[in-house]
Amino acid sequence: MKHPMLKYMKETGPCGDRLPTILCPGCGAGQVLNYTLHAVDQIIKEDKIAKERFLFISGIGCSSRLTTHYLNFDSAWTLHGRAPAVATGALLANPEFKIILFTGDGDVGAIGGNHFIHVCRRNLDMTILCMNNALYGMTGGQVAPTTPRGDYTTTTPYGNVENSFVLCKLAEVAGASYVARWTTAHPQQAIRSIKHGIRKKGTSFIEILSQCPVHAKKSAVEILRSYKTKTVKAKNAEKGDNRIPIGEFLDIEQPEWFESFQKIIDSFASEERKDQNE
Amino acid sequence: MNKLWIDERYCKGCLICIDACPTKAIRPSEKLNSKGYRLPIEENMALCKACEICVLMCPDFAIAVSEE
Repeated sequence: MKHPMLKYMKETGPCGDRLPTILCPGCGAGQVLNYTLHAVDQIIKEDKIAKERFLFISGIGCSSRLTTHYLNFDSAWTLHGRAPAVATGALLANPEFKIILFTGDGDVGAIGGNHFIHVCRRNLDMTILCMNNALYGMTGGQVAPTTPRGDYTTTTPYGNVENSFVLCKLAEVAGASYVARWTTAHPQQAIRSIKHGIRKKGTSFIEILSQCPVHAKKSAVEILRSYKTKTVKAKNAEKGDNRIPIGEFLDIEQPEWFESFQKIIDSFASEERKDQNE
Repeated sequence: MNKLWIDERYCKGCLICIDACPTKAIRPSEKLNSKGYRLPIEENMALCKACEICVLMCPDFAIAVSEE
């Protein structure tokens, strides 16, 4: 008997055992991987989609170690912040791919911000999963663009004085089709959102607030409990509420990049046929 | 009775499963494993309803429950 999701993972490789993961005890990235695999497992079973149609792409960071190292799917471990760019290329080569991007907040919000907003603007068919722990975990807990005002990190010992990036709002105004935010303490809701995001035509952006117990200097259990009290469903939020809104923020139908291009190609093809008939 | 399985190689003792368990069927062990982690062990498996919330929330793919 073993964990049901281990069937999608590489337990051993050419250089010895791959598991246990390199992540710290209680890391939220492992939980997000677990939720994503549950969502992918349900989609494979319900929609009868071949396992080969999934492609996982990641950049650099704790969250981005999840793809090529552990997954038994097609995956790519790419440049820092450039995962959306590589995903665009992969999608151009094979539009049938169901692409899932694992990114962190430093990856998608700081160094790869430009790539991220332009993928949203083009509305390419991919699912971007952002694990937001509000600091740079891998390099030693420095301040990140998503660190809330007043938070203590190793480079802001007297509290952060900058405004923080709200990635969900950025994705919304950049033109994504589906935007949601959950935390690692909301597994069922996160799985439902990831499933919807994978099935959705167009860019889906799902931000998952995930804990970094090492740099937050709290236990994972304590942070998971605080996520339940610190957050509020977006539709129940009142004005002046300081809690973090969670839930689905945007779910719209709009023309996807490939569909729009296919229409232009088809219109030329029909004109050619007309010319030949004449 | 449902059966609990913990992979001692993969578990890092974060104890998320114990906090998540709605019926408190598992508890942390007194003994440390070879890496110095406190692994979850069975407290009273008669309480386990096999809801698999521990399986869902485990970051290290180290826990499984089988229904019987």
